[in-house]
Amino acid sequence: MEESVITYNVFHHVAWGTSISVYFWLVGVSTGSFIISSLGWVFGIERYKSIALTASITAVVILLLVPSLLIWDLGQPLRFLYLLLPSYWHATGPMSWGSTFIFFYSIAIIVYSYFVIVNNPFWAKMIGIISVVLAILLELYTGVVMQLNPGRFLNNTALTPFLFLTGAFISGIGVLILVLWIQNMLVAIKVEWTLIEEMAKYMMFGLVFDLFLLFLDFMQTLYGDHGQVIGHEVVLMGVFRFPYLWLEIIIGLLIPFFILVSPLKKFKAGILLAALLVAVGVYGMRVWWVMGGQYLQTFY
Amino acid sequence: MQDKHEAHRSYGLQTAGSRGIAGTKRYAMVIDLRKCIGCRSCMVACKAEFGIPLGVWRTWVKEGDKGSYPNTRRIFMPRLCNHCDYPVCVRNCPTQATFKHKDGFVLQRYNRCIGCRTCMVACPYNARHLIPAKRTDKNLPTMVVDKCTFCIHRVKKGLVPSCVQACVGGARIFGDMNDPNSEVSKLASKETLTVLKPELGTSPSVSYIGGDWELMDEPHSYTNRSTQLKDEFNDFKRNHKGDAFGDIVEGEPTMPQVIANMNGFLHTIPHKAKGVFDSFVNFFFK
Repeated sequence: MEESVITYNVFHHVAWGTSISVYFWLVGVSTGSFIISSLGWVFGIERYKSIALTASITAVVILLLVPSLLIWDLGQPLRFLYLLLPSYWHATGPMSWGSTFIFFYSIAIIVYSYFVIVNNPFWAKMIGIISVVLAILLELYTGVVMQLNPGRFLNNTALTPFLFLTGAFISGIGVLILVLWIQNMLVAIKVEWTLIEEMAKYMMFGLVFDLFLLFLDFMQTLYGDHGQVIGHEVVLMGVFRFPYLWLEIIIGLLIPFFILVSPLKKFKAGILLAALLVAVGVYGMRVWWVMGGQYLQTFY
Repeated sequence: MQDKHEAHRSYGLQTAGSRGIAGTKRYAMVIDLRKCIGCRSCMVACKAEFGIPLGVWRTWVKEGDKGSYPNTRRIFMPRLCNHCDYPVCVRNCPTQATFKHKDGFVLQRYNRCIGCRTCMVACPYNARHLIPAKRTDKNLPTMVVDKCTFCIHRVKKGLVPSCVQACVGGARIFGDMNDPNSEVSKLASKETLTVLKPELGTSPSVSYIGGDWELMDEPHSYTNRSTQLKDEFNDFKRNHKGDAFGDIVEGEPTMPQVIANMNGFLHTIPHKAKGVFDSFVNFFFK
């Protein structure tokens, strides 16, 4: 067979970089944390009401970091307002929907937190329902915004929304467990450790589902078209091996899973370590998803 | 000719594809690679026509070596925006900054562009770029996305795009694909044309005669780079950080680079904040 070598090409930069990967991670943690907060006031599980405020405030604080990343990432920072103007809004653009969701979600969770503070069950539930829907839509958007690019081999998969929702759920719980542990140390209001153990159990179910989704994605890339196969070999197992294989799969999923199914889960340190590793591991996924998905094409 | 259903497929608020519809224009470019000699006069002409800054291109010529000695050949492939009939960039733009003209041009409105680079992520052909912050002419736009316009300002005056005008080998042919008497239409009927990434359904308006798959295939282009080009690519990513700070150098630890990239991004914030502050001052006090 005739061999060929590419000897000249112009190079291109990655269009979305670290700030977007951090933003995806922060949104995931915020929405995941908020969904735990809603278990008490929206879904009626009484024992979760004790952590609802901490969880919703965690969601708000983390979300406050998001606009700073997004706005300063724009070429024209002041024009972020265009995203919210009806005459500019574009129904087929995923980012139009995303910016709308993020705007209303941030307002909704602040209002929800207020009703939780004033102990108003009716409005907390009503606003909570809206916030949960917005949280799910917002988290879906962060995945879909890259999925709907047919030229991106690694991102263009229908598994995307599930990967992002699961990642958000487990990283949200992970960060929340750490926040509650700090709260127990610093504040007089204590959270029962059994509740944290129960959240860790939910996190473990999420880990298993995330591993299953990653296996499906692995199969697709391994048996996919040329782009997906090379994407798997060169990007996931090559340049982005650390965030993909080590950070996400081994450190972020497998080690916490073994901690949570082993006797180590009976120790506080075990659960806290698992929570930390999961939160960090999901960031690894955001890194390979955003930058790895664009990697091959920067040369094309 | 396309069937009625496909011809009327439209994305979002933009013009539907016009290829093959009677009474409409569909400007297209055919690039005859048998005639391309790789002189890059098209790149120079384009740069001169629009004052394109250093480091970004609206059109470029990819180059490769084929075969083994003594049976070798140098191959070229000029690249530019494909002015797709169903452009993903138009569909995904959140502010309708990019749109499709009824005659087939995919154009950019700088005043609407927020520089979010969604279109760059969406474009399968790498045909878009962010204009750098510093330009020689201060009146020209910066930090918004730019792309090939098929030289609409020339075409509307009956001229061909500047890259076509400059092509010494006559490899680039431009015209209305819906006009059966145009040169591109005649070429399309008698030659075998190929397009880049046809499987994506974008229906590009730039087609090639005699295209080599080695140059056209994206993963192959990456895996079959020469060693020198690989080094140059790494140098480029190491030394010329883009505005998105997402470049990762192959063969070096990834996460320290990710952290360094984030650090680089944070360092740009004061400069951008100053720009925002200056805009306020200009708007309210001058």
